[in-house]
Amino acid sequence: MGQTGEVTTTDGPRELTVGMGAGGLATADMVLNIGPQHPATHGVLRLRIVVDGERIITAEPVVGYMHRGAEKLFEVRDYRQIIVLANRHDWLSAFANELGVVLGVEQMLGLEVPERAVWARTLLAELNRVLNHLMFLGSYPLELGAITPIFYAFREREELQAVMEEASGGRMHYMFNRVGGLKEDLPAGWLDRVTHAVRAVRGRLPDLEALISGNEILEARTRGIGLLSPEAVAAYGVSGPIARASGVDMDLRRDAPYLAYPELFAPGGPGRVVTRTAGDCLARLEVLLEQVHVSLDLADACVERMRSLPQGPVNVRLPKVLKVPEGDLYTATENPLGFNGYYLVSRGEKTPWRLKLRSASFNNIGVLRELLPGALISDMVAILGSTFFVVGDIDK
Amino acid sequence: MTEAAKGSRAAGIPGLVRGLAATARTLARPTHTSEYPDAPPSLPPRSRGVIALLAENCTSCMLCARECPDWCIYIDSHKETVPATTPGGRDRQRNVLDRFAIDFSLCMYCGICVEVCPFDALFWSPEFEYAELDIRELLHERDRLGQWMATVPPPPALDERSADPAEVSALGKPARAPRAPRQAAAEEGQA
Repeated sequence: MGQTGEVTTTDGPRELTVGMGAGGLATADMVLNIGPQHPATHGVLRLRIVVDGERIITAEPVVGYMHRGAEKLFEVRDYRQIIVLANRHDWLSAFANELGVVLGVEQMLGLEVPERAVWARTLLAELNRVLNHLMFLGSYPLELGAITPIFYAFREREELQAVMEEASGGRMHYMFNRVGGLKEDLPAGWLDRVTHAVRAVRGRLPDLEALISGNEILEARTRGIGLLSPEAVAAYGVSGPIARASGVDMDLRRDAPYLAYPELFAPGGPGRVVTRTAGDCLARLEVLLEQVHVSLDLADACVERMRSLPQGPVNVRLPKVLKVPEGDLYTATENPLGFNGYYLVSRGEKTPWRLKLRSASFNNIGVLRELLPGALISDMVAILGSTFFVVGDIDK
Repeated sequence: MTEAAKGSRAAGIPGLVRGLAATARTLARPTHTSEYPDAPPSLPPRSRGVIALLAENCTSCMLCARECPDWCIYIDSHKETVPATTPGGRDRQRNVLDRFAIDFSLCMYCGICVEVCPFDALFWSPEFEYAELDIRELLHERDRLGQWMATVPPPPALDERSADPAEVSALGKPARAPRAPRQAAAEEGQA
């Protein structure tokens, strides 16, 4: 059997011509399954790709291999037990996930959270954001073949995880939020250690940047690859750093502020929304890198503010059996990976009647359907990795 | 990417060289890692490693077992009658703990059981080296849970701006109004 691959260097779709013996010439599309278990995907996301030679024609993300039924489990758990589950769907942003649940419940209860708790939550949420972004700043180059950056990223993660663990007791699943505030007060001298850790991370970040930004190989793999238009962002409900890399200037911390963000994102404050207009893989990585700087600044501002707050509690005394009044409420927060929303419907019982979870990664990988067609197989991993997702956050 | 990084690239230093320079700098610095099995990690006191049981404090009230999100705590108990100590007194009943076990293959390390225990019978210990080859061995019975008690660290001091402990703030509050005399209460009830 003779095979003649018609290789052209033009941008038009390439054709694979397969000689079928005496039967004449026929071109064939091939269906390629990437995953559910494949070294190039992280987690168990499966992609069904139709390729014509090396060119992708259609791509379909097939999700659900890690579905754990979190929403159904929420319905038979009280609000403290829900936090256990809620911080697990996106295991890289556990603190931000907890936050959405407790903010929603507090708002439905009409509960005023002590000021120290508000600032401590903001601080921990920003440290969590840095942890999340550092993970992707390490793992994305790893997917592109650069092994070194992940060691630098993990060194910084370790620094921040140490302070998170000292306060909350957990390294990933913090379980530090409670309805009405935090589980317990911060340990003595913890703020100093946060300042020290933030300074250390900021001081060593140029090392990581030297490996990533301006690297010719990385730029060759990512520049102009996987272009995402603002229209597609709107159509697919993409949010977070990926949307901002396409020039969509939205960030719930500024646009629908919660916690202490109104003050931090006020004019003259340390908060700013990082955007890029290119919309390619490189722009998405750059947004992540710069957001680390912004989040470290925000963390510093929170520590500074916490030092000047008067003495006070970090939680509110609640009844043993907590019942949320009848009603419904949608609470959205800006998670590290995008919008994270909880739609809480309560019938006045100690468990929610329904708690719908809107997770960032689910919408963000939906857009792969638009991003991948037209790209080469070799760019597939670059595009897939640049959508920065956590499979648990997709499948819930 | 910072503006400084862009500037240095414009100055003509190739990105690969800058990356290699960062690697070389790191090579010259002392190492960050510690050789784990030889150098044990220093973990903060709040670290959630394993749950220790102080069985003497346990009243078998079952609160922990009921609040556990995945029901991995097993408690068996029976009632015992304690004869009256004073003549004419009443016999008392008390719970005796027969079995207390935590299945760490199910435990999600959320700490709700430690939080809800009203009699301070459960504590977190930062110990984490109890991996097993057989998953059934992760079911720690009462004796094993009790052995962890020796590793429980004292809780850390709290931030200077934390609220006063309940005992201290209770001192500052005005004393509770004396209870109305019994006679008056009885009359009120009749009216």
